[in-house]
Amino acid sequence: MRREDETDETSVFRRVVLKNASPYHYMKICLVLDDESTKLSAVDLKLFILTGLKNLFGEVGAAISFDLLKYDEDTLSGLLRVPSRSLVKLWSSLTLLGFYQNQACAFRVLQVSPYLLSLTGNSRELKLD
Amino acid sequence: MSVFMDLNLSFCADKSRLRSLIETAAHLGFSTVAVNYTFEPTAKKKQEIPAPMPITDLMDQLPVVQGRSRPIRVLNRLTVVMSDSSHFRPTAPEYRRFDLLAVQPTSEKLFHVACMTLDIDIICITVTEKLPFFFKRAPINGAVERGVMFEVSYAAAIRDATMRRYTIANATSLMETCKGKNVILSSAAEKPLELRGPYDITNLGLLFGLSDGDSKEAVSSTCRSAVLHAETRWTASGIIRTTKTCSVTPIQQEAPPEESDAPAAKKAKLEDE
Repeated sequence: MRREDETDETSVFRRVVLKNASPYHYMKICLVLDDESTKLSAVDLKLFILTGLKNLFGEVGAAISFDLLKYDEDTLSGLLRVPSRSLVKLWSSLTLLGFYQNQACAFRVLQVSPYLLSLTGNSRELKLD
Repeated sequence: MSVFMDLNLSFCADKSRLRSLIETAAHLGFSTVAVNYTFEPTAKKKQEIPAPMPITDLMDQLPVVQGRSRPIRVLNRLTVVMSDSSHFRPTAPEYRRFDLLAVQPTSEKLFHVACMTLDIDIICITVTEKLPFFFKRAPINGAVERGVMFEVSYAAAIRDATMRRYTIANATSLMETCKGKNVILSSAAEKPLELRGPYDITNLGLLFGLSDGDSKEAVSSTCRSAVLHAETRWTASGIIRTTKTCSVTPIQQEAPPEESDAPAAKKAKLEDE
């Protein structure tokens, strides 16, 4: 929902008002594996998350349409986009995933936000005095 | 908002593993953790109640909590697995060495006793098997009134699919009866990879049937209440605390305090009178 500021023609600013809750949530995640040399491609990761969803919520969970927007194979970290109403389901299935091919693993959810831009910085990594 | 706590890290004799457990908890953002010693008395022979390992033995310098620049606080906790009412000895001096006291009742009668009379801080809810009894409103209301917390731990749910079913089933049946009051969520983790971050647990609480607010409180302020409840247990009405002084030698006289502004003003006032 956006509205051009009609009263001031010269203004270059535009006010953006979101009347509805934002449609998507973005999650920055990192997979920690017991054996750090294991390689995981983006397809593997998505399949792994999907299996977790299906284990916890069945076919209804597997029908959640989430996307892996960005993935770094070296650090095993990536960005997920998920419809806001399915966030709790996806997140809880990530929390309860404990094993990847019989080795212990854990998903560290680093940041969650309804705006992709917010994931560029992390206030928790700031050094406080 | 109060800080995040995880009041159940399983103790293991392997020092390096316990150390990495505490380090991981600090990295995930927990400001306080409790190392849990489980004590399971059996009828056959008398067993020793474990003594807590001082944290200074474990690590010289406590790890810094992520985002807080403060070292983590480590408490000791004893969990007594009760299968008989004589297993919990309220006056045992061994219990005083622990910061937190918890019991895990195995039958409805013991659950009632734990809720209504025992002087404890936490009641553990079984998550590894089907609940052998139903939660009744009366003992749970009694426990809520006395400030005793109910604990649901989630590590078993990560380890095994069957346990996950029991965890969710037992947790939801607890939430139905206690309506989200006095519930804490903790890990009971044995390995660092079984720990989850505080916000993950908050989200997991929603799955267990907690509301948004109660879920967050289950890892923060309710835990704080449990710790404060434990601190007041050894005091008279939470006001007076008595300790034994070991030293026989008279306390060394402190050097006379230097005259600062405030005492001087006070002194002047006294002289006037």
